Amino acid sequence: MKQKNSLPAIFLTPAMMILAVLALVPTVYAIYISLQNRELSRPDGDFVGLANYIDLFSDRRFINAIGVSLTWEAVTVGMTLIVAVGLGILLFECASPRMRNILALLFLMPVILPRVSAAFVWKFAFHPLYGIATYPYKAITGQPLDLLSNPATALATVALVDVWQWGLFFSVIVLKLLQTLPPQPFEAARLDHARTWETYTHIAIPMLKAPLISLAFVKMIESLRAFDLIYVMTRGGPGITTETLDMYAFSQGFIESGRISYASSMAVLMMIATSIVFTFIWKRVQ
Amino acid sequence: MANIVCSNVDKQYGAVSVIADFNLDVADHEFIVFLGPSGCGKSTLLRMIAGLEDISGGKVAIGGRTVNDLPPRDRGVAMVFQNYALYPHMTIYDNIAFGLKRMKVPKPEIEQRIRAVAATLGLDPYLGRKPTELSGGQQQRVAIARAMIKTPRVFLFDEPLSNLDAKLRNHMRVEIARLHQKLKTTTIYVTHDQLEAMTLADRIVLMKGGAIEQVGTPAEIYDRPRTLFVAGFIGTPNMNFIDVTTEKVDGGWSLRGAGCNIHAAGTRFALTPGQKVVLGFRPADLEIATSADDQANVVAGVADLVEFHGNDALVTFLFAGKEIGALVKASACPKPGDQVAFTIGEESLHLFDQSNGLSLLKA
Repeated sequence: MKQKNSLPAIFLTPAMMILAVLALVPTVYAIYISLQNRELSRPDGDFVGLANYIDLFSDRRFINAIGVSLTWEAVTVGMTLIVAVGLGILLFECASPRMRNILALLFLMPVILPRVSAAFVWKFAFHPLYGIATYPYKAITGQPLDLLSNPATALATVALVDVWQWGLFFSVIVLKLLQTLPPQPFEAARLDHARTWETYTHIAIPMLKAPLISLAFVKMIESLRAFDLIYVMTRGGPGITTETLDMYAFSQGFIESGRISYASSMAVLMMIATSIVFTFIWKRVQ
Repeated sequence: MANIVCSNVDKQYGAVSVIADFNLDVADHEFIVFLGPSGCGKSTLLRMIAGLEDISGGKVAIGGRTVNDLPPRDRGVAMVFQNYALYPHMTIYDNIAFGLKRMKVPKPEIEQRIRAVAATLGLDPYLGRKPTELSGGQQQRVAIARAMIKTPRVFLFDEPLSNLDAKLRNHMRVEIARLHQKLKTTTIYVTHDQLEAMTLADRIVLMKGGAIEQVGTPAEIYDRPRTLFVAGFIGTPNMNFIDVTTEKVDGGWSLRGAGCNIHAAGTRFALTPGQKVVLGFRPADLEIATSADDQANVVAGVADLVEFHGNDALVTFLFAGKEIGALVKASACPKPGDQVAFTIGEESLHLFDQSNGLSLLKA
């Protein structure tokens, strides 16, 4: 009896141990140094209590970074889902089964590409002089188009790359989800005077509500980790217009001043905020 | 209300022909049942009339208007599906209201019409629930309500009762019959259940392999099956069949087979001497022979199985190399192993040509 009870624990222990080392140690250490005034240039530091946290709220760049991060989340999650649902429905409605398979394969490719590579490819595509994406504009107007250096367009341009990677991938998932739906409610709706688009807005999408919310969740978490994409494409610039929280923390900690304690306090705040927000949304959804 | 005309309707899936040259006129107010075994094309035909399947060839007209190229919503048809096809995320009220909302019917009128339909079908207590919270019978009633509320010109039922248990099926069958009595909407009803077909239909269209075997009232189909297939398909328990050869004798025909000699005056049948025919008779038409004397038209054997049906019992015995069933009163039922003998009245004989399966009854 005792053996039976301890079996789950035996299997769980190694995994939990690894998890504890990999996740818990850095987390605890981040909290620990966020309460100090450590800098990369000095080996020692003193405990300063919550001073770093208090400083953050009078830091204009920090407030800006919160805004950029929230905008980034809203734009990438929203656009990804719109593109995914729109393209998924288009594939389902218009493409033959063979065409669907070919397109699905194509649409999977961007997400398979490492994000750093995608970022470099697109950064070059958006190059004001040699970029293929900006070429038509240059050919027509004779003026170079520098989307990534324009504060008004930089974030949207980086978001475009993110949506290109994930929107296309999710559209394949939406297509597969649509294929799993039973056909009869659609047929009933067609007999119930529903137009094609109404069968989607009133029947298909509501029936797919739960998986679509899950997709939104996955994308929300994924969008939080867009550091590499932004880093390669704009490094938070021009100015601080694309500087998300993780970008700012990174530049505070490692690039500009080496204020590792200050950066850690930002990371800790982010962790707490996202944990609370996601728990809240998750409960609401359920 | 409308009539339906199918002329030379074809359906092909690639190179496979499912329905070939189907012709049928359904009169206004008529209740037509498409009956046939699985895969005979009856559901496909219904879905073509509904507009859910393309029509490969021929013409379908509803109310005098060709509908081949009309989308389902413009055909004035309402359909009830086998698995109800309710919208799972909507309440019963919204399920029923969906079509009316799409037709832009004013809200107060929707409300009033739903109350009326819900009262007719006894759905009042369930309007606020979701489909999954209802039993199968209730769900099917919602599906019927959803079809009814649009006051369609044509009702289409695609095996609506096959997902229900036997008792509920009887109940819903009566409800559908009553509904048709009241609304008189032209109806096409697809089923593989001959009891539903016999009880509901004004006319039955019996199909096999994508073609019509026979069209007729339930009585016509039961009493004068046009083909061997119809004879075997309609009637429970199944008709008995014996292969025999005709022989002209004094005062009529002798139908001879292995250990079998049945006499027929032959006035009802168009026969030629030496013709190979299939003799058919229904188990219920066999009567227990009073004495095993020189009576003609006796089928006899040793009862090997007796199935109790309640009022009746089905006695199975071997005769002329074939298993023969006879329906007898349960009170007079023999025991397995008993010698049994039955007589057949000539008027209840059916004869079919062995070569083409067509009935040899004179028109």
